[in-house]
Order: sequence, then structure tokens, then C-alpha cells
Amino acid sequence: MSKKEIDPRGPRFGAAITAVLLLIVVYLSLSPSTFSVAISLLGIIVALFAIGAFLGNSKHPYGYLFKRLVRPLLQAPKELEDSRPPQFAQLVGLLVAGTGLVLGGFDIQLGLTIAAAAAFFAAFLNAVFNYCLGCQIWLVLARAGVIKA
Amino acid sequence: MPADSGLVAIIGLLLLATVFGFVWKATTGRSKRIRGGVQIDLKEIGATKNGLPVTAFGEHTTFLQFSSEMCPVCKQTAKIFEELEKTSHGVLHIEVDLTHRLDLAEKFGILQTPTTLVLDSNGIVKSRIGGAPKTSTIEEEIGHFVI
Repeated sequence: MSKKEIDPRGPRFGAAITAVLLLIVVYLSLSPSTFSVAISLLGIIVALFAIGAFLGNSKHPYGYLFKRLVRPLLQAPKELEDSRPPQFAQLVGLLVAGTGLVLGGFDIQLGLTIAAAAAFFAAFLNAVFNYCLGCQIWLVLARAGVIKA
Repeated sequence: MPADSGLVAIIGLLLLATVFGFVWKATTGRSKRIRGGVQIDLKEIGATKNGLPVTAFGEHTTFLQFSSEMCPVCKQTAKIFEELEKTSHGVLHIEVDLTHRLDLAEKFGILQTPTTLVLDSNGIVKSRIGGAPKTSTIEEEIGHFVI
């Protein structure tokens, strides 16, 4: 991950869209007739998380949307932020939503629903309350040896 | 599951996340008193300030802030403490990045960043603040209002 400075409102805007989509996935996954639609939508979300995690917010469609449509309506940001924390959050999102997608592929409905709900939780808190996943869990994962500094 | 109970489920999820968010906002950044706190060893924690090793604690209060690279909130917190250091007599702010010092995270049982230890003039831990400190928390710690 290379360090870049970005408008901190960009990732939060993206998280809001992600949260809405994940809530829709949860809803669709609860009915057998729409379960396959839930899997497809979650597949798109997983692909978007992968772009965010590996290519960064600037290459992400939501990052592009923010820059073209939202950013011109806002005042200049008070300060810029490191791009790595939101990128880390995207990676966590990719792992959680990806797990849900795999479980969904094996027809484990509850697994997909729980994973989508968990990912929704984090995206919603990030968008609405500025909850930062990197601040909350990076150290826990590093201490457990799951990730390396 | 019929469609209406699916609706109930997502409304419930939305409420749960909202309640969690408000509780988190209300509780983060508050200080917790520590009884019988340990003495901080400035050498051990590798405390530096502007590239130079820190050799003495603040005359009144030292805010020892633990940060990590994945933490934008840490930078905002550091800014607030730096400002406080300039305007309040006897206050010292030290920031230690735990990214490459996981041993310290283990030692002090730190799970989230920023976590700030509030030290007295002898470097004894008096209280601990998890998350971005609230202004009222800082005021309590230094015993007067922040301008």
C-alpha cells in the first residue's frame, strides 16, 4: 500500500453506498425466491471491495463518482488524510463479504446473511458515525499475527 | 421467510447499528481512572519528540498517546494535544507509533488507537483514554478548561 493524501469524505461517501447495497443483499437473502439475486449483488460488492483494497479509493467507481459529482458541491476539505486506513477497511470488507459470497455459493443462506449483515454494520458505522475500522481492529489483528506491520 | 419479516429484519439491523453508533460515540474518548498505575520508562517506550529522545515528564501532566499507521483519528488527536501543550503550562504530549512496536501494545494491553495514558509528574499512569479524547475529558485531566 502506497501512501497518498485523499479527501476523507470520499471513503465515507463510498461507505454510504456500500451500506445501502449490503442492506439490500441482507433483505434479498432472506427469501428463497430472491436468494440468487442476493448472491449476484454481493458478487458485485465483493468485486468493488477488491478494487478498493488493491487499487485504492482513487481507482474505485465510488471514488470517481465522488470526485465528479459530490466533491464540486462541497467546500475544500479542512485537511487531507492518509489513503491507507480506508484501503485497509476495504480489505476487511473484501474478506467478510467474500466469505459470505463463498458460503452463499454453497447454498448456506444463513452464512451469506450474517456476513452481509456484518459488512453492513461496519460500512454503516463508517458512513454515519465516522467509525474507523483501521483504528479499531488493525492493532488487534496485528497482535494476533493475522497481519504484518 | 415472507417479504414482510425480511423488512422487519433489515429495520432491526439498521436500528441495532444506529444504537451501537450512538453508544460508541458517547463512550469513546472518556477517561478511566487507573489505581496503582505503573511507572512509564521513557527509554523503553522509545519516546521521541521532534526527532530527539524525551528525557523528562511534563511538570504537571503527560499525555502518552499510542497511535498506529492505520489511524487517521490519531493525527487529529495528536494535533489537539500539541495545541494543548502550547497553551497549557506543564503539559507534555508524547506520541508513540505502535505499528512496529507490538511489544508495547502487548505490555499495555492496547486494542485500539488512539489510546492515551495520562501520567502524573513522576510518569505514573493515572488514567487511560480509549479513542479520540473528548474535550471534556481533557479538561478533567488537566483540571481547567481548554480554550
